[in-house]
Amino acid sequence: MMDKKAIIESGMLERYLLGELSISESQQLEAVLQTDAELRSLFQEMESDFEKMAQENAITPPSHIKDQLMSEIVRDTSPVISLDERNRATKQYLAIAATFALLFGVATIMLYNQMNTMQENIEVVEAQNSELKNELELVIDNYDEVVTWYQTINDPNAIQLILNGNDKSPNAKAISYVNHVDKTVVLNAKELPPLDAEHDYQLWADVAGEMIDMGVIPKGSEMAAMQYIDNAESFNITIEPSGGNDHPTVEQLISNVYLE
Amino acid sequence: MPNQHHLLNQIKNGDAHALSELYDNYSGALYGVILRMCKNEAVAQDLLQETFVKIWQKANSFDPEKGKFYTWAYRIARNLTLNELRNASSLIQTEDLSVYKEKAEAEELSIDKLKLNGTIQKLESHHQKAIDLVYFQGLTHREAHEEMNVPLGTFKSYIQQALKKLRESYQLALFLGWLLIEQML
Repeated sequence: MMDKKAIIESGMLERYLLGELSISESQQLEAVLQTDAELRSLFQEMESDFEKMAQENAITPPSHIKDQLMSEIVRDTSPVISLDERNRATKQYLAIAATFALLFGVATIMLYNQMNTMQENIEVVEAQNSELKNELELVIDNYDEVVTWYQTINDPNAIQLILNGNDKSPNAKAISYVNHVDKTVVLNAKELPPLDAEHDYQLWADVAGEMIDMGVIPKGSEMAAMQYIDNAESFNITIEPSGGNDHPTVEQLISNVYLE
Repeated sequence: MPNQHHLLNQIKNGDAHALSELYDNYSGALYGVILRMCKNEAVAQDLLQETFVKIWQKANSFDPEKGKFYTWAYRIARNLTLNELRNASSLIQTEDLSVYKEKAEAEELSIDKLKLNGTIQKLESHHQKAIDLVYFQGLTHREAHEEMNVPLGTFKSYIQQALKKLRESYQLALFLGWLLIEQML
């Protein structure tokens, strides 16, 4: 234990205050100060006096020093964390950027695919459209034809004659419309039983006992315009070799109807 | 001063506002010491900043049981400045031109600015000189007594007498202040 009087007289307190003492000297003195209240209060007075003197001799530093200090403190506060945070922030930005890039990429591919699909669809639609156009043309043609047939058969001058099948072809039935004013004959052969490829139905007009060709009935057609023959007494349908015959094969007569 | 202890506790918790407040209270006193010690404004400003950075970093090692905050801060400032001066003088030996330049600037520093003010002016000149050498010049007692060319024991008594005078003067000021306040009340 150091002697109090020696401490005071040696100027140890002053040198302690000024920071002149070695570490071991400081520790010894601190131990004494802790136990000796009088010495402690002496030291505290000395501290106060030096502080007052320092304040009396204060010189105000330029204000930018404080600004520099405060910004350095902020930088210094937790460098590891701030670096980490910066890294993390950078990583986050990169992640966000990558996500956006990926989204844009995916979106581009999707849009590209959609565009392709749409182009394909457009092509399909265009094909369908032209198909429909063709169909429409056909329908219009059909319509025109139907209208023509309708007008033909609905004409007040048109006479309807029904040709029923005989024993040879009991199910056969054809309807003919004769217009003596316009000199036209139209035949609906829909109800005639179908024939093989080597045979055709042929229509004949009986004029004073002579059979005159009115034409081969076209296969598969509903209505057919036939040759008008003046002074026909009856219409007759025979089965002839494909393409028709110059003279009717009487044995193959399947139907006839008398005019008047 | 419990207020400083509170501020230091806040600094330990990383509160920059507390450091700002301590700076406002003590930067002038510490700058006065540092500037008189190194006599170069640019260097002194760097050292002042360094001192407060150290206060910020070492706040945990401050023990209020062992002394006042200002005493602790003074020691930090003094050590940093003495280290700087030691490094600078070694640089001069290696003919570093920037240090010459700084030295030249220091000569331009107004003597008025570094002149000691306040109660210390009332002391006898050898007492003033003794305090100036150990406190504002950063010399050890051993160096200072050689500088003043007096025996170490004599020098120590100069310091103690000077401190006694300061104490009396401050107590008188305190008493007068108290008297003034009493009168006003």
